[in-house]
Amino acid sequence: MFFYILRRIPQTVLVIFGVTLVTFIALQIGGDPTYLFVSERASPEEIEETRKMLGFDKPLHIQYLIYLSNLVQLDFGDSLYYRQPALTVILETLPATIELTIFSMLIAIFGSIPFGILAAIYRGKWIDGSLMAIAMLGQSIPSFWLGIMCILYISLNVSWLPISGHVPFLMLIFQGEFIQAFKNLPTTITYLILPSFAVAFYSVSRNARLIRSSMLEVLSQDYVRTARSKGLSEYIVIMKHAMRNAWLPVVTIIGLEFGFVISGVVVVEVIFAWPGLGRTVFDAISNRDIPLVQAAVVVISLFVIVINLITDLVYAKLDPRIKL
Amino acid sequence: MKKLITGVAIVFGLIFPSTHTIAAPPDDTFVVGLPTDTIGLEPAQISSRHTANIMKHIFGQLYSVSESGSIDPNLAESYVISDDGKEYTFTLKEGLTCHDGEALTAEDAAYSFNRVADEDLAFTGNSAGFVYKSIDFKEARADSEREVTIVLGGPNHIALGLIAEVYVHCKDSYEKMSKDEAASNPIGSGPYEFVKWDKGSQIVLKKAANPPIPTNFENVIWRVIPEASTRTAELIAGNVDMITNASPDQVEAIDASSTAKVAKVQGTRRMYVGFHQGPEFAVTPGGAAIQKPEVRRALQYAVNVPAICENLLNAPCTRMTGIVNPNNAHPNLEPYPYDPEIAEYLLDQAGYPRDANGVRFEITLQAGEGRYLNDKNVVLAICQYLDDVGVKTNCEILDWSAVYIPLIKEKKAGPMYFIGSGGATWSPLYDMADLSAPDSGPNYTKWMNEEWFKGWKVINNTNDEYIIRREIDRMLEVFYNEGPWLHLYFQPDFYGVSNRVNWNPRRDEKVDLFNATLK
Repeated sequence: MFFYILRRIPQTVLVIFGVTLVTFIALQIGGDPTYLFVSERASPEEIEETRKMLGFDKPLHIQYLIYLSNLVQLDFGDSLYYRQPALTVILETLPATIELTIFSMLIAIFGSIPFGILAAIYRGKWIDGSLMAIAMLGQSIPSFWLGIMCILYISLNVSWLPISGHVPFLMLIFQGEFIQAFKNLPTTITYLILPSFAVAFYSVSRNARLIRSSMLEVLSQDYVRTARSKGLSEYIVIMKHAMRNAWLPVVTIIGLEFGFVISGVVVVEVIFAWPGLGRTVFDAISNRDIPLVQAAVVVISLFVIVINLITDLVYAKLDPRIKL
Repeated sequence: MKKLITGVAIVFGLIFPSTHTIAAPPDDTFVVGLPTDTIGLEPAQISSRHTANIMKHIFGQLYSVSESGSIDPNLAESYVISDDGKEYTFTLKEGLTCHDGEALTAEDAAYSFNRVADEDLAFTGNSAGFVYKSIDFKEARADSEREVTIVLGGPNHIALGLIAEVYVHCKDSYEKMSKDEAASNPIGSGPYEFVKWDKGSQIVLKKAANPPIPTNFENVIWRVIPEASTRTAELIAGNVDMITNASPDQVEAIDASSTAKVAKVQGTRRMYVGFHQGPEFAVTPGGAAIQKPEVRRALQYAVNVPAICENLLNAPCTRMTGIVNPNNAHPNLEPYPYDPEIAEYLLDQAGYPRDANGVRFEITLQAGEGRYLNDKNVVLAICQYLDDVGVKTNCEILDWSAVYIPLIKEKKAGPMYFIGSGGATWSPLYDMADLSAPDSGPNYTKWMNEEWFKGWKVINNTNDEYIIRREIDRMLEVFYNEGPWLHLYFQPDFYGVSNRVNWNPRRDEKVDLFNATLK
């Protein structure tokens, strides 16, 4: 396993290099962002001075090489918008996104498993039909619409949960303020429920369908029939014998999904005023804050790479036939 | 199953009682819902209205512009101008303190002005850029404990209003901080002290121990709520007291609620269509046509501006009579009426009759999308109005930041382009400064009218208020008859205001919470 991880390091460096290059080119296609950083009445001289100050007066390849050389020293540059080191801005907003991601994943996993199993056990019955109809709906409803409907009916009409906002938990943990963090936890959860649900509803639906089909395949296997013929209870047959094998494709999907969720909760973060990384990147793109976008893309890429690595390791652990 | 139900009940039992924290703000707290976060908290580097609105609560200015447009004492109690008009000496009020507890003196004020201009700190934005360039800032010096002098390169009739845009901060604290630290730890001199900034979420302020101007609420919270419908929901739920940039399509929902109302105000931002006068566009048929003042005047009659306001902006508006905001405008000029027949007659007279296809000439109108209120539809409506009088208009809607703004700033947008320009209530000259010189930054039309620019020489060479006003009116007449703008409207601003508070919006997009009270 150690050598496998070691082998992945050069791949990671190559991926990060590719990501920075693609991001740099994509952002430069948008043109010179200097104009967004001068006042409305700026003179041509002032625009030129600002361009120099921001470093956009240099040829593109020089700008990229400067960026790369700074990156090697873990210097991501300063955010043009926040006037602070880009990495600091990322690290300040990352905990909120991790909270949202983890909570969404928990809903996605623990919501989809019972639905998938129930649908498989009651294949062809009304339970199966109903659950799969909901799953189809979940995969069809856009998260922004679901978010707005949640705000309208759950927050505004019956006032069960907050409309928007965020109460920090992870950030306080990282800052060592454990007592305050755990005091905040119940409120943090109330603020997490709606945005997490809006993010996770799609995943619950997809995973439930996946678990159902995976379970159906496993349930028809000889070893399941054997387990039943030994007189084991249906609960043991399902949870101990069938579920472990049915779990394999789901692990792959969940691994991929973690990366997708961490970088893909932008719309939900905007709707629920969630101060996370997704919204920061979205704003940074709108504001042409090139250093911040580049830093965010590198950090997100690293996350995805690490999560994929963990997925591979877990997969090997679940299925001993797989050698890394 | 029983265990499961009990577990779920416990979890919900733990969670739902805490939803009581989502209550209306306490009586001593005013909560504002903003669409975007502040661009840092560095008082020397401000380039957005939202940031300036937050900063003016943390930092005092020597003088400040009031709602009515008067320039009133703030940290300073009086000022005198030197005979040559180059030095403004302000006397600070007694007993001022910085939020770090130190006394606020003329040295702090001088430091604040000089810090903005410090080349090593390389600030950009409104003060370091537009303000200092406009007043030709030379230096600031402390003459005594309470007297600070701002030295300009030359006399300037709008210097006081521009000096009022510079925020005074506290020398001792700022000298100890790096530029990065200063960007998130403001040590102010204004009515509210900074408490915390949760990036992307909220900025919390509390009343200063010794506020330089009276204020009612003990705490002010600026919440960042990017999505317009979510801001509306928070307002209706009573969780925020006021929202800026309320979406026009949600006006009905807010007004129908029992908890809030929409306050509409005609802003100071002048929305217009520019007629590019540069030779690069004169080679095209449309570009050549709009070189003629007669054609430009004819097109003023072709667009139904009040209908655009009512139907696309959801607010009644007054059509502009020119470049200046209404309270400073020429008293005898009336807005051009919508009269397509006059437009057609004048176009015929100007030598542009309809051809066999009903077309007089073709022209392109460029615009950026997403910057101004319902901008795309407004531009499409203008194109249709021009089409109706035989001017075949090709509407080009471009990406605002990547394509359109570079074109505008490089003065390459045209031959017609749609844009807005921030204005002011406190001086006609501020509004007119868009065209302060043929090569000025915002003269995107490259208008070179001698009669107009001659007026600036007259104004700059006198201190006689009567002569200045007379010259302004003469210039406004020139602009009305021959100007390079198709006059549209002052962009309306929409604020949602909770029924819990008394608060009135200003025309100039500035948000003051000092006079807000609980009902």
